[in-house]
Amino acid sequence: MGKFITRSIAQRIVLLFVVSVISHLVIHLAPGEPSEVDPLNPRMKPEDIARIREAFHLDDPLHLQYFYWMRDLATGELRSFKDSQPVLPKIWDRFLNSVPIFLVATLITWGLAFPTGIRAAVSRGSPYDRWTTIGSYALISFPGFFLAYLLILLVVNLFNVPVIGASTFGTEGGSALFRTMDRLWHLVIPSLLSAIGSIAVLSRYVRSQMLEVISQDYVRTARAKGLDEDHVIYHHALRNALLPFVTMFGFLVPGLIGGSVIIESIFAWPGIGRLGYDAILTRDFPVILTLNFIAAALTLAGTLLSDVLYAVVDPRIRVE
Amino acid sequence: MVTKRVLILAPLLLVGVLLQSYFWVPTYEEQTRGSADRITRFITASIGDARLLNPVISADGASGQITSLVFDSLLDLDENLALRSNLAESWTLTEIAYVVARPEVRLPGGARAKGETLRAAIATGLDGLATSVRLEPPAPRTVTVTVLLDGEDGAPRPESVEIELRVPERVAIELPEVVTDLGERLAEVLGADYLAGFDPASHAGVPASPAGELAAQQIPEHLSSLEHNPILEFELKRGVRFHDGHELDAEDVRFTWQAILDPRNISPRTSDFDAVRDVEVVDSHSVRVVYRRLFSPAVYAWSYMGILPEHLLNDGALAAEMDAKGIEGEARETYGLRQADFTRAPVGTGPFRFVKWESDHFIQLSRNDDYFEGPPEYAEYFFRIIPDPLTQEVEFRTGAIDSYPAQPHQADRYRSDPRYQSFSSVGFGYTYIGYNVRKPLFRDPDVRRALGMAIDVDQIIRYVLYGEAERVTGPYAVTTEWYDRGVPEVPFDPEGALAILESKGWKPGPDGILERDGERFEFTLITNNGNPQRKAISTIAQNSWRKLGIDCRVQLFEWAVFLKDFINVAEFDVTVLGWSTGVDPDQYSIWHSSQTGPQQLNFVGYENPEADRLIEEVRLEYDRDRQRGLAHALHQLIADEQPYTFLYAARGTSVLDRKIVMVERDEDGTERIVPVRPTPTGQLTYWFTRWKKLNHVPEF
Repeated sequence: MGKFITRSIAQRIVLLFVVSVISHLVIHLAPGEPSEVDPLNPRMKPEDIARIREAFHLDDPLHLQYFYWMRDLATGELRSFKDSQPVLPKIWDRFLNSVPIFLVATLITWGLAFPTGIRAAVSRGSPYDRWTTIGSYALISFPGFFLAYLLILLVVNLFNVPVIGASTFGTEGGSALFRTMDRLWHLVIPSLLSAIGSIAVLSRYVRSQMLEVISQDYVRTARAKGLDEDHVIYHHALRNALLPFVTMFGFLVPGLIGGSVIIESIFAWPGIGRLGYDAILTRDFPVILTLNFIAAALTLAGTLLSDVLYAVVDPRIRVE
Repeated sequence: MVTKRVLILAPLLLVGVLLQSYFWVPTYEEQTRGSADRITRFITASIGDARLLNPVISADGASGQITSLVFDSLLDLDENLALRSNLAESWTLTEIAYVVARPEVRLPGGARAKGETLRAAIATGLDGLATSVRLEPPAPRTVTVTVLLDGEDGAPRPESVEIELRVPERVAIELPEVVTDLGERLAEVLGADYLAGFDPASHAGVPASPAGELAAQQIPEHLSSLEHNPILEFELKRGVRFHDGHELDAEDVRFTWQAILDPRNISPRTSDFDAVRDVEVVDSHSVRVVYRRLFSPAVYAWSYMGILPEHLLNDGALAAEMDAKGIEGEARETYGLRQADFTRAPVGTGPFRFVKWESDHFIQLSRNDDYFEGPPEYAEYFFRIIPDPLTQEVEFRTGAIDSYPAQPHQADRYRSDPRYQSFSSVGFGYTYIGYNVRKPLFRDPDVRRALGMAIDVDQIIRYVLYGEAERVTGPYAVTTEWYDRGVPEVPFDPEGALAILESKGWKPGPDGILERDGERFEFTLITNNGNPQRKAISTIAQNSWRKLGIDCRVQLFEWAVFLKDFINVAEFDVTVLGWSTGVDPDQYSIWHSSQTGPQQLNFVGYENPEADRLIEEVRLEYDRDRQRGLAHALHQLIADEQPYTFLYAARGTSVLDRKIVMVERDEDGTERIVPVRPTPTGQLTYWFTRWKKLNHVPEF
């Protein structure tokens, strides 16, 4: 096991290096320049622009720029072009802001997907099963941002309450209970929206996984033993159906960084997805590259985690 | 079965807890439900976040909105956009002019032009104009200039060069006001060739290097036969305090100027202060700004340059900050205002003090009770960052924002909605169709006029802007006095346009497209992607020109590509773009013939000696009436030449909660509540410090 982990980590470090080189190249080869280098500002002289370009190393060869990036990242000296703030603390702050939506959305997803999926599997072919199938595919095919606007307009026109941002503005100084509830309300709609697509997908997985397990011999045996149906489904079938979902836990981690760009932009949520999106718009290379790097590292860590978890949970699998 | 119950009850419980929170949230009608302080807070929203909260280094609109509340400038613009005093109690504009002695030349009287003879000749010649005329001994000095060299990979590389100036003996003339035509007056006294015959290069030394040669071109800027030194003297208000309690004094003004010029800070404002030779501290509350040449827009620069607190940002303060952060070695050299904590927690003298900034979320300010013009009515100011316009509107309608900039198609709806109050005014900008006049097709002004005559601008305004715009005929902001309302619009007259083109030899070819000597009238119109209005204008123009028999293709590009591959290198035929303009009459960077190079703003390549003269003169002129005359002449000239087809200046509409009113105080201190009103030039937030939100909708 130890050997396996060591080897996997070594492989992933090499892969991470390759990913960082490629993303560095792609971002620098894409058209556009940091918006600080703004040639259409009548108040800026070519001398000023040249000085800014020099300070950002924009005219150095790409491999040198890569080196500067890596060196500054390692020493913690890497600063955003936009506001000269260190990149890592900036990303950490945004990350903390994104965590509540991520947590609530994950809770909603996993909480709702299992009951709906199991019920659909148990009553296969019933009207309930058909309607949830149609519903799931409808939700999967609806673009998230469109659904978001519909839901916002519905809630605002019907109930007249604010839904944007992390809390209602201007209510500082209200009671603690009020503030908590207000924050909770502001979490509801964005997390529901970011969960909706995953509920649809995950409940499909649960359904097909359950169907597969239910048709297994040991389930028939359990029924033959005279166990009641609930015990068969929830004790014998569900446990075995859960195995593949262990893998999905690993992939949750990188979702923290990439999954929320659209929702965070629409809801003016100061999270990590918006940080990345704004950085791309203003060509803030240090932020884009570092986020990319962290996302890649998390993805690789996630796959490693799920490999290991799988070996732990499933006695049939042994790593050599 | 426990598992089953958990699987069903847990999600139900979760959903229940989440949804009940709805009952706690305040609505538009009951904004004070959560907190009674809600109405003492003004909340506004912006698409983008601020970058650097320091007036010396910020260049974006969002940062400007915050710094204008936190910092004050020496001067200010009044309701009619004229300069008025702000931090400065008063200001005066005088001048010292220097005339070099040229011993090799004989004066009209026959004596050599040096020493006391020259001084006396000038003193008598300028009878009554000067307050004093005195002789100054030779004064060698060194100036450092920046030149751009070609780098290895073709990118320009800045380098500093020292020029050694052997300034000869000079006569200093003190004048009570700026005398722009002093040169002509002196020519009468000293002879016509006296000033023109002086060669500055023979009095200067530059290093023998490529950089030195480039620097040599800048010598006349630093040494000339007649040097105008306009002098702005500011007398500061006493007792004005920064938010930390420290009193504002002359050192702060001098420091602000130094901060702009400090290369570590990479300030985008240097060109406005380029002409400043020195900022002298006369005493604790008066400063003298000495300019090295005539440059009237420089006076306006003091009206938006917030004054920084020297005691928080001087070298000692920065060194302490670096020590606290543990910054060592090379990083210390480049550590300037951009890196300082100050840019994220500014301290100024303005009506609001900075409290908190959460990136991409909000910026919070609170009332400065010590403000020298009296504290604002609002206790707090929130600047929220909401990147999506639709979301902004949604927040406004639920009462979580107090103001909303309505888009053109919404303006009419909001104006007739009794729940809100809305204000419309024409902004400081215009949209135009620009022709690359370097191309033979667009070289002829009559052809450009004909192209403009084909387009029905009123229709564009009616259908693209929903009527929320005003036609413009020239390059100044409509609300400023520089704009000449007497200049006639280009009429919509397709037949007349066709007649002009025919008179130029363009005849319809076999496919209906105009031809001349086998050449088809065809070109490409480009604009940037993501601006629906410009896209619509492109289509309308294309269609209008097609009716004349002109083959125009339209292409859209992403902004960065559009600039880099087309505009900056002047590789385009026609483009639809917009400018946002300032309050001063300076048009140098957009219209002067020296600004037609790559990366420069006169990308249409407009060159006209008469326009150059007007543009240069308005920069040298300090008299407002004469400036206005020059600006109107330039406006007329550009309208005649039509390098742009000027389209419109958009009208912006701000919508406010009806509960917001203005408080007016009489001399004896009695308060009156009056409706919010904009200035005659349309600025809504001019009286912002007097705004207040009531608990109910007032009746007037």
